Amino acid sequence: MSSAPTTPPTEKPPESAKAFPILKERTRFFGLTLDETIRAFFGGNAITAVVVLALITFFLFKEGSAFFGLNRESVTLYRKAGLEYVDYMRAQQESHTALTRYLFDIRLRAVSELTGKDGLSVAEANARLTAFDDFAGRYSDTIEPIRGMVSELTDVAVSIKDKYTINEDAKTERAQFLAAGMTAEADAVRIIEIDFKAELAPLVGVTPVYIETANGVATAITEVLASPPALPVPALDYRLTRFKELNRQFLATFPETRRLVETWDFQKPVPVLDTVTGFLFGRQWLTASFWQDWYGILPLFIGSLMVSIIALTLAVPLGVGAAIYINQFASLREQRVIKPAIEFISAIPSVVLGFFGIAVLGSVLRAWSQQALTLPEFLQGIPLVSWVLGLPLHALNAIAPHIPGFPFSERLNSLTAGCLLALIAVPTIFTLAEDALNNVPRSFKEASFALGASRMQTIMRIIVPASLSGIVSAVLLGLGRVIGETMVVLLCAGNRISIPDFSEGLSVFVQPVHTMTGIIAQEMGEVVRGSIHYRALFMVGLVLFFLALLINFFAQKIVRKYRISIG
Amino acid sequence: MVTDISSSKTTPHMETPAAPATFKVNVPSSSTKLPATTGTLIDIDNLDFYYGAKQALFDVNLKLDDKRVTAFIGPSGCGKSTLLRCLNRMNDLIDGTEVKRGSIKIRGVDIYGKNVDAIELRKRVGMVFQKSNPFPKSIYENIAYGLRIQGQNNKVRLDEIVEKSLRGAALWEEVKDRLHESGLGLSGGQQQRLCIARTIAVSPEVILMDEPCSALDPIATAKVEELIHELKKEFTIIIVTHSMQQAARCSDKTAFFYMGKLIEYDDTRTIFMNPSNPQTEAYVSGRFG
Repeated sequence: MSSAPTTPPTEKPPESAKAFPILKERTRFFGLTLDETIRAFFGGNAITAVVVLALITFFLFKEGSAFFGLNRESVTLYRKAGLEYVDYMRAQQESHTALTRYLFDIRLRAVSELTGKDGLSVAEANARLTAFDDFAGRYSDTIEPIRGMVSELTDVAVSIKDKYTINEDAKTERAQFLAAGMTAEADAVRIIEIDFKAELAPLVGVTPVYIETANGVATAITEVLASPPALPVPALDYRLTRFKELNRQFLATFPETRRLVETWDFQKPVPVLDTVTGFLFGRQWLTASFWQDWYGILPLFIGSLMVSIIALTLAVPLGVGAAIYINQFASLREQRVIKPAIEFISAIPSVVLGFFGIAVLGSVLRAWSQQALTLPEFLQGIPLVSWVLGLPLHALNAIAPHIPGFPFSERLNSLTAGCLLALIAVPTIFTLAEDALNNVPRSFKEASFALGASRMQTIMRIIVPASLSGIVSAVLLGLGRVIGETMVVLLCAGNRISIPDFSEGLSVFVQPVHTMTGIIAQEMGEVVRGSIHYRALFMVGLVLFFLALLINFFAQKIVRKYRISIG
Repeated sequence: MVTDISSSKTTPHMETPAAPATFKVNVPSSSTKLPATTGTLIDIDNLDFYYGAKQALFDVNLKLDDKRVTAFIGPSGCGKSTLLRCLNRMNDLIDGTEVKRGSIKIRGVDIYGKNVDAIELRKRVGMVFQKSNPFPKSIYENIAYGLRIQGQNNKVRLDEIVEKSLRGAALWEEVKDRLHESGLGLSGGQQQRLCIARTIAVSPEVILMDEPCSALDPIATAKVEELIHELKKEFTIIIVTHSMQQAARCSDKTAFFYMGKLIEYDDTRTIFMNPSNPQTEAYVSGRFG
């Protein structure tokens, strides 16, 4: 072979010149090779996802951020037009109304107690309550002087606000005419600048009268309370005592209201920070009101939170329990049936679950709640139990063991929504928790068995702790799923925008609530584009977005930590 | 890194036995003195074992001595690990496994009998696995685990047993300052000794070792082998190994398996120097396997 190069070439092409065919013309699309095209395609997809996320964030910010400016204007007008001044007195009136309602509630309970347990007719029961009714009537009348004042002043304040609104509209009109070049029409628009000081004079002039009236009211209340009636139902006495205590607290707020009224100044500027805190911690979400709109996210946030707590309380044991069963106990055949069945739940459209909640679950839960419960003896006299039932300890001891359970009258409430949301969270939690359990090396299990551990000990002490971070992140992602769910809460949560009364014990969980997702779905279709209400809904969306981001961030962080520790 | 504990005990058995040069493996000299055995501890009788439809062990008859090291050797798939896992019923964890014929008796009790609690059995027959598998817990908790699951939560007692077990596994000096750090932070050899310490903490009678050194380097292997020599004073040890040198160095008796059958069982010295079966002879001299 080594002699081959030295041999002279023959007439045929030499064997040694055999081609090494690795050169090939590439197919090109728009000047790119096939590989580069594929690369560009996948890269493009990834970039699109990131860009869309960025666009959504930007859009939410852009639409939402103007809210604070608008809200500040709105609150400033609220002050300038004297609405704030009137609301100090109105708050007092409303507290009193709530207390009167408390009295009526006592009466209702007394009647049901008398007709139920004591077997009296309604007429007889009413007769026994005459003294109480007289008392309640006198109490209810004590606030009349303030009620009258508030009613008059409301008209004054509203008329100032209306004038201002009309003026603002006129200004807008003129600006539009000017922009269109119609100077004559623009000049024809009548604008009268409002002199707030002069307009407010009748309002502020009332202050001394109010102070006198308030003092009179306080005296009247104290007098009425001095002679409480004896209730025909001794078991309800604790409520009357509680009523007196509430009144004492109510009267204690009088000096503060007086101070507010006296020092009120319509020109005091509204700090920018107040509009932010007013949104994040505002306890009222009130729209389309003739008086003043409030955009406080707190009732919606608490609603979302309560529904999520209920959902997770139910879904975590179910999901994690099912995952442990499938991973550790189930035979191959059971696995083949149960796993797809649970995963199928996530295929049910949430609106269908909502139907089910309205038609079946709500009624069943309500009927169930109205069954009477008997408090077992060993639970009597324990402070925690008294909170849970929303009764003071001595009252608990007085009426035990015949407590009525938690009867609730609203079919649609946070419990109904929470139960259905649990169903939605279970597949997420189950699948991810099962993955986490599966990732625990088999050798841990073998080592534990070889040391004489039972199956239960192995699961509780080795397998679950080793997969705990995976399980926690499964729960977090389930929470993310629940917080973001809309249709079920819109249909089943009851949609009452108010912060539940936490002094009611466990029955806070059966009160109707409204949620952040629900309010957006419900109101977004009706608002005027660009209005303060529209922007407020975007702010709610932004809060939801960040909440979801936060939850996912922590879930991923935990998962990453978990991977390292198992190694 | 030689600790005072292990070094003091190294000398007797690390000495190279005066074996004839013609042999490839070092065989314990016949002069090695052993404490007298109390006789047979485990009696395997006509054992047939199945994985589903596949038979893995054929008519195995074996009597294992108390307070001795017995080695199971043989090529891959010969059934030696299967037999080992039968001895503490670890095979129960695998679906479809079954002892179809024969029995295994420990102190005369059939461990596959009707009222046998496999959990109680495993407390008395511990196991060390091929790959070290400490729990993702601290060193201390790894060892305390076996006691805690038996309801032992007395701190003083636990401290005592943890120290004793770690000393027993020649690991105490290396880890005494970091008992509460993760067991996964130890080196491979230390992890394996931790697993041995964990096993002896529950004071079993028998320790099964399934190729305990196959993932270790020679130095770590030497330490584990030293440990086996120490442990046999108190425990009956059965070791499955692929290394014939290891079988020769550590064991008193050796059983050779091939294709699910016990081919030959005798004193280690006899197996390596004067096997009666030609297959054994071929295997130990390295001609197949």
